[in-house]
Amino acid sequence: MKRRPLLAAGLATAATLGFSRRGWSQTKPFDGMTLRLASVNDQYSPGLKALAARFHQETGIAVVVDILGYGELQTKVTTDYVGHTKGYDLATTDNVWAPQFAEAGYTVPLNDWMTRDAAEMKLDDIYPVLFTALGNYKGKQVAFPLAGYANVLAYRKDLYKSANLQPPATMQALVANAYTLTDKAHNQYGWVANGQKGAACAQDWMQYLAEVGGVLVANGQPTLNTPLNIQSLTTYRDLFQKAAPPGAVNWDWDGREASFRSGLAANMQTWSVGALGYFDPKQSKVTETAGLMVTPTADGMKPRYGIGGWGIAINADIDDRHKDAAWTFIKWITSPEIHIALNQLDACSFLRRSELHDPGLNRKYPFLSVIDESFTHGDADFRPRVPQYPEIQDILGTAVNSALVGAMTPAAALAAAQTQALRYF
Amino acid sequence: MQRSLLRLTSPRRRSLFLFVMAAPAALHVAVFALYPILRGVGFSLFQMNLMQPWLHRFICLRNYTDALADPEIRHSLIVTLIFTLGCVTAELVLGFCLALLLWPDSRFNRVATTLMLVPITVTPIVVGLIFRALLDPSFGLIGYWLVHAHLAPPQGLLGDTRTALPTMMVVDVWEWTPLVALILLAALKALPSDVLDAAEIDGADHVRRLRLIILPMMLPALFLVLVLRVTDVFRTYDIVFAATAGGPADSTNLLMLSAVKQGLLFFDIGYGSAISILMTLCIVLMAAVIMLTLRRMDRRFNES
Amino acid sequence: MSRRTKGSALLMQRSLLVMALLVFLAPILWLIMTAYEPSRAIQSVPPTLRFTPSLANFASIASNFDLPRLTLSSMVISAGSTMLSLLLGIPCGYALARTRMRSAILLAYAFLAIRGVPTVVTLIPFYLFMRQLHLLGSWWAVILMNATLSTAFVAWMMYTAFRAIPREVEDAAIVDGCSAFGAFWRVALPLARTSVAAAALLCMMFAWNDYLNPAFLTRAETRPLSVALLTAFGGNTTSGWGTLGAMAHLSTIPIVLAGLLLNRYLTAGLTRGIH
Repeated sequence: MKRRPLLAAGLATAATLGFSRRGWSQTKPFDGMTLRLASVNDQYSPGLKALAARFHQETGIAVVVDILGYGELQTKVTTDYVGHTKGYDLATTDNVWAPQFAEAGYTVPLNDWMTRDAAEMKLDDIYPVLFTALGNYKGKQVAFPLAGYANVLAYRKDLYKSANLQPPATMQALVANAYTLTDKAHNQYGWVANGQKGAACAQDWMQYLAEVGGVLVANGQPTLNTPLNIQSLTTYRDLFQKAAPPGAVNWDWDGREASFRSGLAANMQTWSVGALGYFDPKQSKVTETAGLMVTPTADGMKPRYGIGGWGIAINADIDDRHKDAAWTFIKWITSPEIHIALNQLDACSFLRRSELHDPGLNRKYPFLSVIDESFTHGDADFRPRVPQYPEIQDILGTAVNSALVGAMTPAAALAAAQTQALRYF
Repeated sequence: MQRSLLRLTSPRRRSLFLFVMAAPAALHVAVFALYPILRGVGFSLFQMNLMQPWLHRFICLRNYTDALADPEIRHSLIVTLIFTLGCVTAELVLGFCLALLLWPDSRFNRVATTLMLVPITVTPIVVGLIFRALLDPSFGLIGYWLVHAHLAPPQGLLGDTRTALPTMMVVDVWEWTPLVALILLAALKALPSDVLDAAEIDGADHVRRLRLIILPMMLPALFLVLVLRVTDVFRTYDIVFAATAGGPADSTNLLMLSAVKQGLLFFDIGYGSAISILMTLCIVLMAAVIMLTLRRMDRRFNES
Repeated sequence: MSRRTKGSALLMQRSLLVMALLVFLAPILWLIMTAYEPSRAIQSVPPTLRFTPSLANFASIASNFDLPRLTLSSMVISAGSTMLSLLLGIPCGYALARTRMRSAILLAYAFLAIRGVPTVVTLIPFYLFMRQLHLLGSWWAVILMNATLSTAFVAWMMYTAFRAIPREVEDAAIVDGCSAFGAFWRVALPLARTSVAAAALLCMMFAWNDYLNPAFLTRAETRPLSVALLTAFGGNTTSGWGTLGAMAHLSTIPIVLAGLLLNRYLTAGLTRGIH
């Protein structure tokens, strides 16, 4: 069973490169080449590293996977681009970096290759929203989707049941449930989100804001302190102060996820990539009681499921032969068979419809229909895809945290943020 | 005696010898430190965001005036000064006490000295992570019980604007007091024992011995430790970044966090360099004050 | 002083030290311990120290990281930085201590000032410089960078150490026919042994735990443990306390061993005095 997809993938590669099947040894036009890939340390990176060995066998291209922490990856890759040092041929790229890289021309636009190889790569099998979210900037595809994450709501089925509540259909219901399910005396909290200053609290609030219909950038101008945004931040602050576990104002993703896995929090909006962990008894105490559903939106609003994740981009400085080889790798790793293999290695990062309907994967991940629904109606723009995104995120990171810890009122915090943001537009 | 010796060695050969001894270090620092710094100083005179290479242009001192006018930077400067003053004072006092405890030579003390150094071996970012975990009010082995005993605010020591900065100071003191102790210990061990013996025979009591004999001879080492710690504490980044990311609100937002954010996150290397160079000027200023104070102390001790 | 008061003073001194040691070591011990815990136990409410030990975290880092290579990198970088800093810094400190030129001290202050420049300024220029020299990604890049910072420190430490040694000692050796270098090498340097050992130990530790410079200047095959440590903690969704703790074994134990080894020299019986 294992050998067949391998052979098929090998054949697909051979066909792509226009070599006959007979000349098997000649199907390795890049034999002996080494590609360096900078990958973030995330759920899919061990799998990426493991599959690189298989790619080497099939194509003769050695892919050195360099696994780096998030901040380290960002700084290192950017320095590499800026200094034109050609340190990496390929890099996993957070969707929010893509606009900047595109503006500066640091990564290779992949559109021509994609048009050429569309049929063979089964591009229509990949959710369109992932192309948009994970590396499209003004029509240029500057990174290819590698790992799609959907924003989902993780909740505790047992707590909902014993409180006679239905899973929330709207944001209003979610907020109400959060208060109902909070029982501080029994160390039970209805709500959790990232509260730490910086990217952590900014990103979680942006997701919350999108679900109640807030907008951060309109017509090329920041609109941080609209009445709706202020009202949203006020509700959000109250949730933190009355329904979140102690310490949540200083938690980033790690603390937030731990609070759900340890049974402390009843509701959490989160990236789907961590979901496998809730069902792993080595990490989690809620394996039997955790449920996943699509994120709710405000009453009367059409669904707005946040989409995030990682693209993979080719360094614009490397020579054409390396670029071709890098594209070969991208095609290979995102091909249906190999991407399923990646997910068999616990990646929990999805791209394709066929993948989300694969029986084997559905047995491993009992929640793929939620991700399918989120990808189908996903929203790539809940985090504004503008080159000024890093600055906006930083400004909001301070404003939201100041409101959460009570150092400033939501109105004052967002007004200050708007003033700062205007400097960058 | 001294004079006759001087005649024996030719002064010119002597100074040539000393020059040759000092030259490699000077050369190394000039090439590998001064040259990059000068390039960085050059960057600071440009509008220079590496993400927007097409917008680079010379703007003279605009980055500097912008930084001085930025309310975030001004606030950070105050936070950084409080942090520096608090940490260095505590480290110096505790480090000196530790050094005195470790001074007598024994097997126990030798092992203790080594074990004391373990905190320095841990990468500062990890130190920040450790304390964030230990002090967490929900999961932390220390934080949970502190909150339950009402010894910490409900959001934990690192989650409250009033307690976060003092807590970060304690973390810094925890990590670096052993370093201070070790340098001071090395200086104590290098003290000529005949002077100490003489003092002992004279019957000088401990405190007087410390104040009148040991302390004056320790001044150079104290200077080194002070300057080293002031320089490093003023530039603290890792432990705070990992533990609070500058929050809650901006209560622990040290200057270095702003500099790194501008320079290595937004890649506004012009502005980031300008902030950093302003920081260097602050450090040089503080070092000069320390030097002059210690020199005055030195003179007073020598006269008395 | 009577024997009794002396004994109680010793007891006092030792118990104070034991308390200090507890404070300094407990957080590290906690980190080391997380290596044996499944992550479910680390973040439990209320926090507890009880768990069923497992070695899974070690298996995990062994499969994700090239551990011997990481350790080798750390050793090469810290040994190289230390040796280069000592080689440059000790003679320089000696020259500063012995010169009669008052302006020479300016050099020493300049060293310290350079040490005070935040990395934000130097990192990108240094990175580009290393590219020009084709040293980017090599151990040399980190060693050279570390040495610029540590040389200043060593020079200062040795400057104070040599100044404490009376010049007459060397002068006597010169009368006996020793060369100028011989007087430094055979007379002054051995007398400053404690300071050399302390400086070496501190240089080694600075280089060993440094994160930002090697994170920038190394590649996968030259990366040291300090950088891998953070990668081991890593992801957004799973807390890597266990793997971090497992990695911390590698990054802490060798340096403690080195410390114990060097410690002999550090506190060797030099207190006998200088005659």
